[in-house]
Amino acid sequence: MIREFSYQAPRKQKELLDILASERENARVLAGGTDLLVNIRLGLQHPRIVVDIKKIREHTAIRFDEKEGLSIGAAVTINEVMENRDVQKHFPALVEAAKVLASHQLRNRATVIGNLCNASPCADMAPPLLCLDARVEIVSDSGRRNLPLEAFFAGVKKTRLTPGEYVERIVVPPRWADAGGGFRKMKRVRGHDIGVLSVCLTKKGPLRRVAVGSAAPTPVLVGEFRGRVSTEEVIRKAMRRINPIDDVRGSAEFRRFLTRRYVAELMKEVR
Amino acid sequence: MYADKDPGSLKVVGTPQRRVDVLEKLTGAARYTADLKLPGMLYAKVKRSPHARARIIRIDTSRAAALPGVRSIITGEELPYRVGLYIVDKYVMARGVVRHFGEAVAAVAADSIEIAQRAVDLIEVEYEVLTPVLDPVKAFDRRSPLVHPDLGEYEYVEAVFTPVPGTNIANHTKLRKGNLAKGFREADWIVEREYTNPSVQHVPMETHVAIGQWGPRDQVTLWSSAQSPFTVRNLFCHAFKLPHKNVRVIVPYVGGGFGGKAGIHLEPLVACLSRKAGGRPVRLVATREEEFSLLPCRSALTYRIKTGLRNDGRIVAQKMTMFWDAGAYADYAVNVTRASGYSASGPYEIPNAWIDAYTMYTNKPFGTAYRGFGHVEFSWGIERHMDLCARTIGMDPLEFRKVNALRPGSLTLTGERITVNTGNVTKCMEEVAKAINYGRLTAREKAREKRTGKKIGKAVAALHKAPAMPPFTSTVVILRMNEDGTVTANFSLSEIGQGTYTSVAQVIAERLKFPMEKIRVCLDTDTEHDPYDWQTVASKGLVLTGNAAILAAEDLLRRAYGTAGQILRAHPRDLDHDDEKVFLRHHPDRSVTFREMAVGYAYPDGNGIGGQIVGVGRYIAQGLSNLNKETGQGHPALDWTYGAHGIIVEVDPETGEYNVLKVASAFDVGKAINPECVRGQAVGGMLQGLGTAVCEGYMYDTEGHLLNPSFTDNKVPTAMDLPEEVESIAVETPQIDGPYGARGVGEHPMIAVCGALGNAIQNAVGADLTHMPMRQEDVWRALRKKTSINHFITRCGFGCKR
Amino acid sequence: MKRAEAGEPVEISLRINGEKVTCRVPPHVTLLRFLREYVGLTGTKEGCSAGECGACTVLFNGRAVNSCLVLAVEADGANIRTVEGECRNNRLSRLQELLDKHHAVQCGFCTPGMIMSIRDLLARHPKPTLRQIQEGIEGNFCRCTGYVQIIEAILEYTGQLKKKGELKRVRG
Repeated sequence: MIREFSYQAPRKQKELLDILASERENARVLAGGTDLLVNIRLGLQHPRIVVDIKKIREHTAIRFDEKEGLSIGAAVTINEVMENRDVQKHFPALVEAAKVLASHQLRNRATVIGNLCNASPCADMAPPLLCLDARVEIVSDSGRRNLPLEAFFAGVKKTRLTPGEYVERIVVPPRWADAGGGFRKMKRVRGHDIGVLSVCLTKKGPLRRVAVGSAAPTPVLVGEFRGRVSTEEVIRKAMRRINPIDDVRGSAEFRRFLTRRYVAELMKEVR
Repeated sequence: MYADKDPGSLKVVGTPQRRVDVLEKLTGAARYTADLKLPGMLYAKVKRSPHARARIIRIDTSRAAALPGVRSIITGEELPYRVGLYIVDKYVMARGVVRHFGEAVAAVAADSIEIAQRAVDLIEVEYEVLTPVLDPVKAFDRRSPLVHPDLGEYEYVEAVFTPVPGTNIANHTKLRKGNLAKGFREADWIVEREYTNPSVQHVPMETHVAIGQWGPRDQVTLWSSAQSPFTVRNLFCHAFKLPHKNVRVIVPYVGGGFGGKAGIHLEPLVACLSRKAGGRPVRLVATREEEFSLLPCRSALTYRIKTGLRNDGRIVAQKMTMFWDAGAYADYAVNVTRASGYSASGPYEIPNAWIDAYTMYTNKPFGTAYRGFGHVEFSWGIERHMDLCARTIGMDPLEFRKVNALRPGSLTLTGERITVNTGNVTKCMEEVAKAINYGRLTAREKAREKRTGKKIGKAVAALHKAPAMPPFTSTVVILRMNEDGTVTANFSLSEIGQGTYTSVAQVIAERLKFPMEKIRVCLDTDTEHDPYDWQTVASKGLVLTGNAAILAAEDLLRRAYGTAGQILRAHPRDLDHDDEKVFLRHHPDRSVTFREMAVGYAYPDGNGIGGQIVGVGRYIAQGLSNLNKETGQGHPALDWTYGAHGIIVEVDPETGEYNVLKVASAFDVGKAINPECVRGQAVGGMLQGLGTAVCEGYMYDTEGHLLNPSFTDNKVPTAMDLPEEVESIAVETPQIDGPYGARGVGEHPMIAVCGALGNAIQNAVGADLTHMPMRQEDVWRALRKKTSINHFITRCGFGCKR
Repeated sequence: MKRAEAGEPVEISLRINGEKVTCRVPPHVTLLRFLREYVGLTGTKEGCSAGECGACTVLFNGRAVNSCLVLAVEADGANIRTVEGECRNNRLSRLQELLDKHHAVQCGFCTPGMIMSIRDLLARHPKPTLRQIQEGIEGNFCRCTGYVQIIEAILEYTGQLKKKGELKRVRG
């Protein structure tokens, strides 16, 4: 970095909340740093203070139990999620998406929650977490609230977080544990790349959920489908929900084609 | 240089010796330019234009200048110096107008990089935005705005280039061979099509870096990541009217160049900042984003080919029109145009040929040399076109290529007669065809198609290239014997990763009959201490420097024998040597060691004779000539390296997704001096070629902003992108005047990969592509016969970062 | 650690290649720049400063990271390994020897980061499959070699190289 900022790494959540409350818009939360530090370098963000949340022990926790479900703390990296046995056993869709997120060394730093808070339309962890009906636990010095993930995204690179708040953890409810899941991501090379389009589908019992990335200003949940539903019906709904554009990564037309194709493939594959 | 040695007796040449340059690279001790920190050094940052074409109304540097720690600020207005390789058309920084997105308009040197950045942020520039010239074909229109209204006043190399003042044509290269009209009259078929490719970034892993120190009495020292230290010095001295003895250029380890570091780039800028900062050294390290638009790229090409064919498969006439998109400055693009203009047909004989190759100025980042020097780009068109022609007459494309391939007796486009020693392109094609089981699917491949539902296609494409260089290009090798009888070699090819230093060391060891361990090659280059070399480009290094090395080794031995003859009281003709000593052939026990003579021989009484044993070898390209400006006829080629790629690809007929299953590559290298070095070039170049074919390329919006100036949206191949199988083959038809028969092969592996891939995709699923790169979406569109996305102009939406 | 003010150096202590280092550094300085400019370990390279190319890869508590996207202050108390720690007793490691033998180095700029990624890979997979090797070095761009000779060196290191790739040579 050649643009200066202050830095603080509180060890207690209370301390963190105090800093966020007093610094408001001037503070940026640092977890993996893989988006934040790039944005600061490019002059896209100008925080006065960078607040490192990794020293707070609860943030590094990843837990699963049958009552609460899966809880992923704010400092848990992509690789930690991928390597976690409970995740591997109960949430295969998360592993699928994590595997193709950037490169190994980036996954060693990048966090799941950072990926969501960056709120890029192409955030790889968003489609599976939308499909798994994850909730976002938001904390500030005035209390806590939680939102379903689909309500958390507000636009391109925008979330519902207000100054003073941060995401403490996300929780995947137990009802989606052991759901079958699949993830498709179109990349321009076979090596690490941002998704040109991605689709996730999870299925548990009679329930199916489908989400699409890089096809609208935010990752979108197509919806929840119960019982016998035709592939055509899911595709039709997906087409209504997405709103892709032409950009350097691909055309809207191609993205619509891929959405159809991937949904059809996943409807067949995930049983 | 080949005939004087029986190839069967070679000991070092032809063996896979370890590289001479990697020890420090493996330990992290290798110092690249950005690793140097000089006492008192200042850090520089550049203010760049956000517009493609604009008039600079005002630059206010006062707030930046007031910042503590800022030591110098420069703008174009105070730098009336023009630089240029072939056309002297570029100011050190924009003056009055900016001509491309990302062009430097001001620069700062400060005590720290933080202060420099803050100062750059505080510089205010007011522009009047003008309509940019973006399309190289529309730039041809007489009504088009002019990128360089002053073109008529620029200095240029008149013997070689033809700029057209009052237009955007930076150069027009013509070639006329035979009688085109007659050729077309004899044709049974005429096939015409246009092929395009965008600008591409070289992506050396080390970005451009320069440190400049302009001391009292105009003594200038430049440390640079440049490929060509002597060219940097020459152009620098020309621009600033300084004697060459005043300017010293030092090139330490270089982290890849691929042509992008061949010219002069950041050096004048840091030197001017240093001069204004009272002579303190100033360092500028280009960011990766700057690498894409402050520094040059490869030119885009629009290539129209019209071919007359006979039913028997012979090409009888071909008209070729090239529009090279030089971008804002001519740099190397005019010479790319020239070099392509005399080899534009690929390695095929065209009896009646007509080429008009235009270098067009546009308001985009400018083009420079890039591995292949135009051949990667035009080969895309030619090799796609060869398949189209073959299909037109119902002939197998490989057979069609063989029918038309250059062979002994053929005349090249410039009228050079091919001989049996020129090399064998047909053999290259046959070898790769064999390696991919061309013309059929194996049982395993058929089973794979059935299993996957995908289609497998195969194709072969051929290539050729000669070094593009002045006909009088020269080089020097100096050998010095150390006190212990080991030998240190100095020459000025920058070791940028290509491995030539290792091969030249092998040539020296071979000719001296010394083991490799006794040869030390100086890896960094310093114009103050090292002998001249024109540039590290064109795949000419091994041939020219290798020959100079043989001459230097012979010179060294001549001196050693002279001294030994005196000591042994024998005629030098009666002497022989091994790696330790010089001895009498008829009395091998009467000898004197090199160690005793290395820096002068001393008799027991103290009398001395000889002096340090040194050897100097100079070599200059021989028999080459400038080309006739009207007809393009002449002798431009030091040698021709031929080659071919065979590709197997698997394509999903629904989605356009494809996997490259195998690439087999063959090159007629004459003699593989170091087979592992050849393989390193063959595989590395092939993958770089695949990058160009599959995913790389600049994209602009309608205002000329570059939309993908980083690795986020300009992907390069990773280890995951390797074909499943890679095979490299060396054909060895000795080059009679090459060192031990060798030819260069640095650039060639990158050429024709794209054409081979495009043809293999078409053979698999019928997708007919005329633009590269071939992204999955492009194949998908071609499968649906949709018009391809316009790669030059695209809208910017939420998915991309500026 | 209390708040570190913008531009004000703060003291950090960490282990680099086994040696304890204590140094003052402003909070915005990356680990990459810290290693290169404050500690003088210039083996680790800057290729893009965006976490894409891997030239700056070092081991952070045993895991490969892009040091361009880590702040030096974040490494307070950490154990860092860089290419400079690869030699033992001033001798090349076996991995370095094999990279040399297989011509896995050309310009050398990606090599330091590549070596660190290979170390992370080998720690996770002592006998990696070809696919695991490709994934393990996916985040390290090499523009020169085309990766094949690097992969061969790793295969030999792990005792899995069945047949070394070779240049086939035929008479013209």
